[in-house]
Amino acid sequence: MSTPKELRYTKTHEWVRRDGNLLTVGITDFAQEQLSDLTYVELPSANDAVTAQDEVAVVESVKAASDIYAPVTGTITEVNSALIDQPELINQDPFGAGWIFKIEPDDMSEFDSLLDADSYEELLPEDEE
Amino acid sequence: MKAWAIYFGAPIPYAEGLRIQEAIWNLRCQDLIPDAVLFLEHRPVVTLGNRGRTGHLLATPEKLREAGIDFVHASRGGDVTYHGPGQLVMYPILKLGAHETDAHGYLHNLEETAILTAADFGVPAFRRAGMNGAWTEQGKIAAIGFRLKRWVTLHGMSFNVQVDLSGFQTIVPCGLVGQPVSSLRAILGEKAPDLPSARQSMSRHFSEVFERPLDIFERDGDLPLPLTQLMSKPL
Repeated sequence: MSTPKELRYTKTHEWVRRDGNLLTVGITDFAQEQLSDLTYVELPSANDAVTAQDEVAVVESVKAASDIYAPVTGTITEVNSALIDQPELINQDPFGAGWIFKIEPDDMSEFDSLLDADSYEELLPEDEE
Repeated sequence: MKAWAIYFGAPIPYAEGLRIQEAIWNLRCQDLIPDAVLFLEHRPVVTLGNRGRTGHLLATPEKLREAGIDFVHASRGGDVTYHGPGQLVMYPILKLGAHETDAHGYLHNLEETAILTAADFGVPAFRRAGMNGAWTEQGKIAAIGFRLKRWVTLHGMSFNVQVDLSGFQTIVPCGLVGQPVSSLRAILGEKAPDLPSARQSMSRHFSEVFERPLDIFERDGDLPLPLTQLMSKPL
């Protein structure tokens, strides 16, 4: 399982990438593996104003459904509509083509207080294999 | 860390099970209690998962109610399923992530628990590619559908012990056309275990597979303090 060092993370297994004033959000490799093959993604709408920890999206596999949370307070600016037809992009490339939404934070300092890769990895189970 | 197992005596309505799960989920999210797992039976009910298709219902909700079967939409993954007395339902409320075994995947662990339980009674069960749950030569014996909220699990697995399989004739189980459903009773006849024996077996395997030692409580007995009120029966 990979945990790219340049990203920030949440305790609920979202990853966050900063590009200027915008943050891109997806779910981690650990998260997609737990859910197995995703079959459906319910996306937020652009321009939605959300509060940190709000439920903003739902991902579903054949047998599981899991909520995705806003990592910071702000406004959704864009969603990855490719996921509507290809939810499997999250499994194939969770940190790349499987991104879920972009958000413009009200206060960028919230990004700085997210977990770094090392702190996030400490939350994960040790791989026995 | 220990987990709490709660055994229920009489079958309960689906709505009551949901209320109890959500109350326990809330305590678990706040770390006020350890992981918990409910073992219970439901009164007859057909439930449809988030993506479930009403086309997999073979009777209208009105017809179901006439037959004494409730119908509800459930906020879980999976398609349509039936629950009724004689079916062992397991609802784990686990915070996923911290345990080493969680790396193998929650779905895999649920299936493993069902397969080991069936094996205790001499019934070989197995996984089938692309068709989650536990299967036997005679049909599907355990169905799975769950939800993660804040990475704490809700819903879970139902395992057919003594349940009257005619309840499944009102649906296309899990949306899988032409795939039969079976039970320990259908396979073993008189030699099939009663529900408490199956529950004991499943508790033991759950504990091993998920690496969570269990403290077992009866719903109607002495419960840990945080659970006393939420488990009390509605007046």
